[in-house]
Amino acid sequence: MRNFLAFIRRFRVLLFFALLQGFALTVYFTFSNYPRSQYLTTASDVSGTIMDWRNDITKHFALSGSNKQLQYENRWLREQLLANKLSLLAPVGIDSVVIKKEDFVQRFEYIPGGIISSSFNRRNNYFTLNIGSKQGVKRGMGVISSKGVVGVIHNVSEHFSVIKSCLTKDINVDIMINNSGEPGFLKWNGGDPRRGSMAGVSNDRSIKKWSKIVTRGKSGIFPRGIPVGMVEKSTPVEGYPIWDVTILFAENYRTVQYVYVIKNIMKTEQELLEATIPPDPAEE
Amino acid sequence: MRSFLKHIFRFAMFLVIQVLVLNQVELGAGTLIIIYPLFIFLLPVEINIFLLLFLAFALGISIDALSNTYGLHASSMLIFAYFRPIILKVFAPRDGYEPDVELNFYSMGYRWFFQTFGVLLLIHHFWFFLIELFRFDEAFYVFKLTVLSVPMSFALCILLQFLLIRKPSKGL
Repeated sequence: MRNFLAFIRRFRVLLFFALLQGFALTVYFTFSNYPRSQYLTTASDVSGTIMDWRNDITKHFALSGSNKQLQYENRWLREQLLANKLSLLAPVGIDSVVIKKEDFVQRFEYIPGGIISSSFNRRNNYFTLNIGSKQGVKRGMGVISSKGVVGVIHNVSEHFSVIKSCLTKDINVDIMINNSGEPGFLKWNGGDPRRGSMAGVSNDRSIKKWSKIVTRGKSGIFPRGIPVGMVEKSTPVEGYPIWDVTILFAENYRTVQYVYVIKNIMKTEQELLEATIPPDPAEE
Repeated sequence: MRSFLKHIFRFAMFLVIQVLVLNQVELGAGTLIIIYPLFIFLLPVEINIFLLLFLAFALGISIDALSNTYGLHASSMLIFAYFRPIILKVFAPRDGYEPDVELNFYSMGYRWFFQTFGVLLLIHHFWFFLIELFRFDEAFYVFKLTVLSVPMSFALCILLQFLLIRKPSKGL
């Protein structure tokens, strides 16, 4: 016992250092995968409010750009309205091809929000949103802007939430090449915030340069067909039958400000149904 | 009491500058200007090591909370604070440090400051990028980021001392 106390006294500085260091490293390595609380992030009330104040000042610098972007988006949505289209198939008055409102149910809802704090030069970049659980945001929901995919909700508090952006190591959004339907996963290798990569594309089909890459919508986080970017180049990986595809992102993550959080109304239904699939005995 | 208030003010100032300004500065290739280690460096020499470690941890975790880095800054800050007494001992002047003199650019001379703070900043930045990337195949990238970031952080730390610290009059 005396020896033990002497040991503690001798190495007390090192032990205190190791204790604090252990805490910091535990927080660092577990929070990025399993966020248990929001106290040490910008989703907390204090940090969120400070970021909100800063955003109140800095958001005006990009005002004309964001206004223009919103106007373009409005124009595109307006052109989608059926009232602005002329039917080529059937003359007016024939019921069989008139699309009725009752034939559709809402599957995705969009919650508007603004990014109040972001980083884009670190290895894993998280954005802070000014909406939280009060507005209906939940962990795991997808986030898009008018140009493309932004990320997935990582951590939620009452009034703020943190997005795991596309500029993180393991974002793994399921995406596909628009024309061929070739599936893959979105990755980011660090360094360049304009370029990501697509993993798991088999090389038995050639990939056209500048073909569009969109979300696949398999897991129900994003609807199918949300733009991600374009194929910039594809190089063969030595020893594996896959392509290494470089993506030029559609969204410029440095300046993204206004986003929509996607709420999938039928997500629970899909998950419950998928849970009834019996496990594969070969995997066990 | 006055020096206590001074350090409280500096704590807040370093926090605000780092989080609201420097974290948003993009210099390309993932580099980052980090100035807050200067706060720990400018604390008195004879400060209790436990207090030093605790202050480093507190400043680090505050920066983490405001920039979504989850303990990354706190960890590298602790490394800086832990190595500070060791490095100060290695580069101590022949008669030791005077107890009431603040260790800065003016009082200790540029050569001494360059050696001690330079070495400490190198350790700090290396640990920071090592933990941030944390992959063996990106080891070269860690060195690259360290080498690119340290000179910029160091230059800004020297510039900040011109603003923060009143130059002692020559008559003393």
